[in-house]
Amino acid sequence: MTAATPDTVTTAAVLLATGLPFAAFALIMAALRGRPRLCAGLSIAAITVSLSAALLLLVRHWHMTAPIGAAAQWLVSGRITVSIGFLLDPTSLLMLTIVTAISFLVQVYSLGYMAGDPGFARYYGCMSLFAWAMTSLVVSPTMLQLYVFWELVGVASYLLIGFWYEKFSASEAGKKAFVMTRTGDVAFFLGLLLVLVHFGNLDILKMNAGDVPLHMPPAMITLSALLIFGGIVGKSAQFPLLTWLPDAMEGPTPVSALLHSATMVAAGVYLFARLFPFFRLSPTAMTVFLAIGTISMLLASTMAMVTRDIKQVWAYSTISQLGFMIMGLAAGGYVAGVFHLTTHAGFKALLFLCAGVFIHTFGTNDMFAIGRAGGRALKIPMICMTIGAAALAGLPPLSGFFSKETIMGRLAGLSNPLWLGAGLLGAFLTAYYTFRLIFAVAVPAPEKSGDEAPVGAPHGGHGGDPHHDRHYRLMAAPLVVLAGVTLALGWAHGALGRFLTAVDPGLDAHPAAHLAWLPYVAIGLALAGVLLAWVEFGRTASARIGFVERVEPVARLFARRWYIDDFYRWFLDRVVYARLSAFCDQGDRRVIDGGLDAVARGTVGGSRRLSVLHLSMVQYKMMVIFAVMGLLTLYFFLG
Amino acid sequence: MPIAYANFPYLTTILLTCVAGLLIILFLPAEQTRQIKRVSAVCAGVTLAISLYLFVAYDHAAGGWQFAEKVAWVPSLGIHYFNAVDGFSLPMLLLTGIVFFTGVLTMWELELRVKEFFALIILLVTGVFGLFMSLDLFFIFVWFDVSLFPMYLLIAVWGSTRKEYAAMKLTLYLLAGSALILPGIVYLVVKSGMFTFDLTVLMEPGTFTPSEQKLAFFLFYIGFGILAAVWPFHTWSPVGHVAAPTAVSMIHAGVLMKIGAFGILRLGMFLCPVGWQYWAPLMALLATVGIVYGVLAGLRQTDLKYVIGYSSVSHMGVVGLGLATMTVSGLNGAVFQMFAHGVMTALFFSSVGYIYDRTHTKAIAELGGLSRSMPLAAGFFIVAALAGIGVPCLASFWAELLVFIAAFKVYPVYAVFAVGALAVSALFMLRVVQRTCYGPPAERVAQLPDISPGLAVPRAILVSVIVLFGLFPSLMYNLIQTASIPFIGRLPW
Repeated sequence: MTAATPDTVTTAAVLLATGLPFAAFALIMAALRGRPRLCAGLSIAAITVSLSAALLLLVRHWHMTAPIGAAAQWLVSGRITVSIGFLLDPTSLLMLTIVTAISFLVQVYSLGYMAGDPGFARYYGCMSLFAWAMTSLVVSPTMLQLYVFWELVGVASYLLIGFWYEKFSASEAGKKAFVMTRTGDVAFFLGLLLVLVHFGNLDILKMNAGDVPLHMPPAMITLSALLIFGGIVGKSAQFPLLTWLPDAMEGPTPVSALLHSATMVAAGVYLFARLFPFFRLSPTAMTVFLAIGTISMLLASTMAMVTRDIKQVWAYSTISQLGFMIMGLAAGGYVAGVFHLTTHAGFKALLFLCAGVFIHTFGTNDMFAIGRAGGRALKIPMICMTIGAAALAGLPPLSGFFSKETIMGRLAGLSNPLWLGAGLLGAFLTAYYTFRLIFAVAVPAPEKSGDEAPVGAPHGGHGGDPHHDRHYRLMAAPLVVLAGVTLALGWAHGALGRFLTAVDPGLDAHPAAHLAWLPYVAIGLALAGVLLAWVEFGRTASARIGFVERVEPVARLFARRWYIDDFYRWFLDRVVYARLSAFCDQGDRRVIDGGLDAVARGTVGGSRRLSVLHLSMVQYKMMVIFAVMGLLTLYFFLG
Repeated sequence: MPIAYANFPYLTTILLTCVAGLLIILFLPAEQTRQIKRVSAVCAGVTLAISLYLFVAYDHAAGGWQFAEKVAWVPSLGIHYFNAVDGFSLPMLLLTGIVFFTGVLTMWELELRVKEFFALIILLVTGVFGLFMSLDLFFIFVWFDVSLFPMYLLIAVWGSTRKEYAAMKLTLYLLAGSALILPGIVYLVVKSGMFTFDLTVLMEPGTFTPSEQKLAFFLFYIGFGILAAVWPFHTWSPVGHVAAPTAVSMIHAGVLMKIGAFGILRLGMFLCPVGWQYWAPLMALLATVGIVYGVLAGLRQTDLKYVIGYSSVSHMGVVGLGLATMTVSGLNGAVFQMFAHGVMTALFFSSVGYIYDRTHTKAIAELGGLSRSMPLAAGFFIVAALAGIGVPCLASFWAELLVFIAAFKVYPVYAVFAVGALAVSALFMLRVVQRTCYGPPAERVAQLPDISPGLAVPRAILVSVIVLFGLFPSLMYNLIQTASIPFIGRLPW
């Protein structure tokens, strides 16, 4: 399949959508850092135009039947050509819209959330960088271009996670995010090199065209697919590289919203969708992906069940939902995976932005503290968060329900019932931990006198402050929009499915199993989860202790993230620093330098000894002269 | 390769500018430090302008040696004053111009023995310029030594941390290198039987037998390799960087280490291609060890300059790996990396130099929170660190990309290790950034002023060069290609 040539309007729209955020970033960083309001205006103006261009493209090409693309040579070196361009097909158009829409909403929200921060200008600069990198990633026609922007997305998230750099935990989290995703990217890059060397091309359409097996033996395809998947594991925070994501909460909350919904972590799943036909060539690899997705989904769910930090619950749920998307894709459900990516982007952004309002207002991340301080008094966030939570739990008629159902259908179609069982278990756990949070915030435990001072009343300290009201409105507006999307998007399932498969019907070829009982079981399990959460956290008389927390060792295991972080810490300290690094360092000091210094000392010492031969005594010199002459005479006479 | 003679001696003008600057400074009274600095800056600016002009004016379509000048020097021995540039040496000239100019501006606040310092710096740079443009083996060796000996004084007089030890160590190392290069040159000139030092004549295929090439290449590889910090001959470099004053570190790591790699390319690979082919696996091995070893050893360092010194070892390993692939892309990547690393490391050292000037410490543990008290200075450092990690849109990304692609075809196992080192290098750089720039401001940092606009200029120039070539790598690659494609094309195999 080759890409059709774009017309002028399309090209211009793509250039605007990707180029303007870059221009905003460059201007802010180079010249305008002293003028924060202007920076914010510039950045939001850029993303607004970007969003409009993306919507225009989506509408114009809603009925597309062939991908559209263009590329220009950027760099030619010998037989290697790096080209830069764009490729529009249903998936990238959809993703472009999601990315620009969420970025736009988050940037508007940040006007309120970040108001008065000393790094306001820098914040909007990094936001624009993020938008540029992500939009360009989405439209990449080749894997090389995708890799370039993939790395830039990593840089942008490093800068934003560590935004409040004076906090040690924030800078540590940024570093961790970058290094862990980079570790995955090493595998990703090696996978790309493998494809490049054997197949000779990294064009996405060519890699997906199906003639790869003519150039690469099956084992090589599997190997490269697994290596490329390494990048996805890193970016989408899948097992075993999942622990950076909960730590990334150290960034400002709008950043988390962006990171968790449409950018960064979504890039991983997007890459899976992008190379879906290529990955499908290797059933072995697909099974591995399915397993990794399942493990990540379940592990993250267990972690979410015991944390008290409102943002961390959503962070774990992101890992879990991304795992679920990967399960859907690996089970052959292209539309299912991409659809869940779409709905998830909406409701996850919603959940984080709601959490941000609570955190901003009450100054704490602890869900119980927020509940005690009167969290439910904030009506708009409370309602919106409940809508988002219900979507996350997969309750009808919200968007999450539809997309989860499609993935469940896919899992049911697999021959091994284990995967479906895992998916259903995940649905139950998700509903439980989601509503645990909702109840904790909405139904606070009856206050015992002298228990703990409330952290702050709603609008506490701001009472009637006009600035604060304006900030609150700025933050509430995106919530309402996103809640509306969450309510409506589910019904677009059929249309989106047709749109996504219009260009290549083969993408969703294997039919999903249609089991009449499946939706009822799934809803039933989700409701059971909600009910359990209500029993433990919602009733006024309840003890606010979850069933997991009653078993101390299990709770500790979950809370310590299954000791995955401890393993990394041990590995870094004991193996990398204490062994490898020390070996090289000591090798330099002791062996190489030590050896050379020994040679130097030996030379000096040796010459000192030899200098005995050059004593400036006449008798001694005469003696040497006579001895040498005597020896020479002997040599000539006898020789 | 075609030789196009210049209608105006641009290359000699560069050298004469340096010599003129040197003479003027020598005749200025030592108290007139401002005048001395101005003369140095003008001299550096002129050389930068000329090298920039040559970079732009070089005819890509014609290729070959351009702007050539040839005057017989000692005809009886076949020695000529013979200068010309090609796609390999032009990036190096430009690099030297940039680092020279920004280095002089960086030292604007120097107060100790200003006259001697700038005189020595100019002398050093003259040697470097001469080496990059010369096509006569005799002159190449002379320029090589001219660029080495000022280094001893520059470190021993203006340096810090164990400066005498470092200066002596560095000098001994580099002299050991030249003790291998000189026999190599003499050996080849004698064996050719042509009594000429002209590189363009000696590089004709069939001049040397394979065994002669193997021997000579080995001499050049080790001799210049010491200067290029090839593992295990690298230990002079972190020690030397640490001891040297800022501008000297910049020129040293930015340009002088490139002389090593360039020497391997110009003498070793041009004259002894068969030797190159024979020793390439060894080069690849040592380069890969250097890449991995550099980042691992760097992880534990506690001195800011040691960290950068080890990152240089690792980055120069990328150059070595590119050269060892014997492919167009590998060569392109290697030469581009020489340029990119030169600019990046100059930015590194000039940022650290500022930090050291203000805080009087290079110990990572005593720094922290620089982003708060001096955001601009910290920003420069962070850009340098990101460039060191190989972030896209900064110059070295494209170099590493091409080298790794080329290496993966020829040496897959080494390439896997080299690419794996990328993850460690991220840890290594970001750890330093975190400890110095982030966190609450350390006690000795809190009240310090940010970098002044005047001192920000050289750093800003370096940043813009990194970004420019990071966004438009073809500006550089199209030039390098004019040399690398014919060079690979005329190889005997």
